[in-house]
Amino acid sequence: MLGGLFGRSERDPDDAESDGEQRSRPGGEQRLRTDGGATASASAGTDASILTRLRRSEFVESIPFWGPPAVLVGIFVYGAVAWNLVISLIGWDGLGQPEYTDFSLAAYEQLLVDPSFTSAFWNTLILLLVFTVLSLAVGLLLAILIDRGIRFENTFRTIYLLPMSLSFVVTAIFWAWMYNPRIGLINTALRGVGLDVLTTAWLSNPDVKLFAIIFALMWQFSGYCMVVYLAGLRAIPRDQYEAARIDGASTLRVYLRVIIPQLGASTMSAAVVLMVFALKAFDFLFVLFGVNPGQSADILSVMMYRVAFDRLQWSYGAAVATVLFAMALSVIGPYLYAQYRRGEL
Amino acid sequence: MSRVDDLRGTLAAVDRSRAALYAVLFAMVAFYLAPLESGLATSIKTEAGFRATTPYAPPPLGEFTLAAWQVAFDRLSQGLINSLLMAIPATVLSALLGSLSAYGLTNLDWRGQTGVLVLFVAGVFLPYQSVLVPLRQFWSAVDLPSLIPLGFVGSYEGLITLSLTHAAYGIPICTVLFRSYYATLDEEMIEAARLDGASAATIYRRIVLPLSVPIFAVTLIYQFTQVWNDLLFAIVLVTDPSNQVVTVALNQLQGSFVNQYNLQMAGAFVAALPTLVVYVLFGEQFAKGVAGES
Amino acid sequence: MANVTLEHITKRYEDVTAVDDMNLDIEDGEFVTFVGPSGCGKSTTMETIAGLTLPTEGTIEIGGRDVTDLPPKDRGISMVFQNIALFPHMDVYDNISFGLRLREYDQEEIDRRVEEAADIVQLEGMMDRMPEEMSGGQRQRVAIARAIVRNPDVFLMDEPLANLDAKLRVHMRTELQRLHKELDTTIIYVTHDQAEAMTMSDRIAVIDSGQLQQIDPPLVCYNEPTNLFVAGFIGSPSMNFVEGEVTADGFDAEHVTVDFDPDAYDVSVGDEVTLGIRPEDVYLADGVESVEDPSAVVDAWTDVLEPMGNEVFVYLKLAQDAELRIDERDSDQLLMSVDPDVEVEEDGEIDVVLDRSRVHLFETGSGDAIVHGLD
Repeated sequence: MLGGLFGRSERDPDDAESDGEQRSRPGGEQRLRTDGGATASASAGTDASILTRLRRSEFVESIPFWGPPAVLVGIFVYGAVAWNLVISLIGWDGLGQPEYTDFSLAAYEQLLVDPSFTSAFWNTLILLLVFTVLSLAVGLLLAILIDRGIRFENTFRTIYLLPMSLSFVVTAIFWAWMYNPRIGLINTALRGVGLDVLTTAWLSNPDVKLFAIIFALMWQFSGYCMVVYLAGLRAIPRDQYEAARIDGASTLRVYLRVIIPQLGASTMSAAVVLMVFALKAFDFLFVLFGVNPGQSADILSVMMYRVAFDRLQWSYGAAVATVLFAMALSVIGPYLYAQYRRGEL
Repeated sequence: MSRVDDLRGTLAAVDRSRAALYAVLFAMVAFYLAPLESGLATSIKTEAGFRATTPYAPPPLGEFTLAAWQVAFDRLSQGLINSLLMAIPATVLSALLGSLSAYGLTNLDWRGQTGVLVLFVAGVFLPYQSVLVPLRQFWSAVDLPSLIPLGFVGSYEGLITLSLTHAAYGIPICTVLFRSYYATLDEEMIEAARLDGASAATIYRRIVLPLSVPIFAVTLIYQFTQVWNDLLFAIVLVTDPSNQVVTVALNQLQGSFVNQYNLQMAGAFVAALPTLVVYVLFGEQFAKGVAGES
Repeated sequence: MANVTLEHITKRYEDVTAVDDMNLDIEDGEFVTFVGPSGCGKSTTMETIAGLTLPTEGTIEIGGRDVTDLPPKDRGISMVFQNIALFPHMDVYDNISFGLRLREYDQEEIDRRVEEAADIVQLEGMMDRMPEEMSGGQRQRVAIARAIVRNPDVFLMDEPLANLDAKLRVHMRTELQRLHKELDTTIIYVTHDQAEAMTMSDRIAVIDSGQLQQIDPPLVCYNEPTNLFVAGFIGSPSMNFVEGEVTADGFDAEHVTVDFDPDAYDVSVGDEVTLGIRPEDVYLADGVESVEDPSAVVDAWTDVLEPMGNEVFVYLKLAQDAELRIDERDSDQLLMSVDPDVEVEEDGEIDVVLDRSRVHLFETGSGDAIVHGLD
């Protein structure tokens, strides 16, 4: 009789699930299992036991670890952002110390009528969009090429990512030389293949200046996009390529229809990093142009530095900085919310 | 017969597409290395040499010189030392703080940690412009030499200021990097230690920290290059020329040797050398750090 | 060594009750297994005993001492985990002695206890191995030694064999029984694998939806399940259930009738009841000798046969057009287990006999058992 009992040890496949997973099941939310206890126990037990529980709660235990770093981040990041907002309201100029007495929105009103703000704002948006799209496209292409089972994969990858390890001061100097109108590599190469018509003073011609900068920044950042996309590609099971190939899809179609649509998460996270970078890009332009890139290439981050630290219009600079912060927030806010919803935080 | 031909055709097509693949890969190598190669070639030419030859060509006979490197090195050596003195403590400090906070926010479970974590993650994306003015005010109000009564503080005030600033702003990214690693640690292993009577601090010291070596490597390498490469904080926070870091020194070198491209290129390489060495030796860790930012 | 008592243990999360008013008395030296489906609260219950989770309500006593608010390390327990959870950067000796070293025992005492524990789980000569150099079974032994070395009053084991391969699991099962005999310590063991529960335990606690369904010796759970859940959960393949009602003649369902006198049992005419019969208690009507009273005959059509070697499972449909569902038991099908030498054909019509003495009746609504075995 017992033979039938033990014939099969797994009653049904669901049961084979490990209990480790079940633990998170009760609330349908991860980490519900151990919730610090402090709140859960509030309704039960005497005061003394609440105290013991509080002392034992992982929340209390964890404070020494994240507390000090959180205080530093709180002060240097959030405190400073708030302080910046206050400074933007007090109309502070020149060499003196700020006086926190009169608050007004004058600096922001000034932004609205300042033509240099308008052009810097639009240039920033163009930089943000074109730079992001271009870098993603090149990065994706690189990732797909690298993922084709090539030899010396590591070497190729190392070379493509190399610019990312360099300082903008260094790359700006390299690109200033590349873009040199008379003897720089770009124009020399264009002349070499008979495209003399395309040669121009890349960094002074207002029509192309911004795009020359975008191109150089793309050179530096596309390797980063490649790394992110490569991780995304490697996460897609090999079977899918094979299944699609067996269905008779061409390589191009496999990528367009099967693979690329699955890279949404990679695209999103890389895009956020690129866009936020575009907002704070400063070093590169500062090395090339100092504080005055000219109207056609001026962006908010350079304008902020120029207004505050060159012209000493602190409040006005702080107002530009607030706009930058708001723009960054509008990029990362939805991203972090989406990450949170997917439980990836 | 025809099947053999088919096969040959297929093989030829495969060969062709393989060849095209490698052609594109090498073209991209040329694209990514061109600025460096033309820079390197230019840096070892005389002024007459780089004006007369194409930028990527090696120096013609008689136009080869290391003088530019010599000058660049002399000009930047103090900056290199200052950058090292500033970047190493900043990197170590933020990696350590990032490890601690990631542990507190990952391996100890409590309600609301996601909220705190969001504040850390958002800090990764902060445009530094939005804290520059307050930061300058803050450090001008803090009198470091009187806070830390040590002899050397006075003469390195700018570097210490910069180092501490970088350490603070490095915490968010370091926390994110460490957290993604700590989330993979076996929760039951930590519970086992707890059952053995280990406190949170003991678990960190005896279990988590010894297992963190690989992620420390990633974080230290990534964060070191970030701090080393920065210009913005350095020009805002360091005024004393003797405290100048290498990026600022390089920018000045570029400004004062307009059109002396050989010198500029040599300078760029000298300033980039430490990060290049780190990158070549620890490219894998750097790539992980880069990927972890997303 | 100690007994463990749970009184009104309840664990609520925001909107879910994982453990619901659990009352348990575990004797000193007893081997008790918590079984139940995924998410039934058995692990949460164990974690409240371990102190890894604090109960929302209720008290826990170990060895007569209220430990509800004590931290895990002060409860006199040790625990073996599903993931084995060794410290990967420490060798076997350091893994086993970790807790002792934390408590700053003197070196001689540590060495003696580590050696003793390693002896019990047969790990001699492996003290300086690293976990990554060991097999799954060896690692599990280290985990057990780590638990033994603390000389606990109670062992808690949370699916310790779940991550081992099938063969090793059976082997370790025997080892754990030997260990229990040798140490004579209270063991509380969580598993979703009822074969582990049946073979090792003194008593099985069947848990579902956070509530204790039954706690009894394995064979009692098997032969006298208190309700439909236990009846269906214990035993593999599980019990057949046929829903029907009580008539003046006994049990009546669409395809199955079993005669009995309703007055002899705690039922009345018109009650909705569920008949339960284990696959091994269903026999072919032809040449049935082992059933004393072969009166409960059912017409059936054979469907799929599953030869298992030592027996054959025959899936029976009680109506020719019934649709067979392998995973669930329905009132229009039966699973029968027969000896391999019995000849049964697929897709044939046959008569089967239910062994009356092993028929269970349950109230369909509440699921509670009414009677085990008819006269």
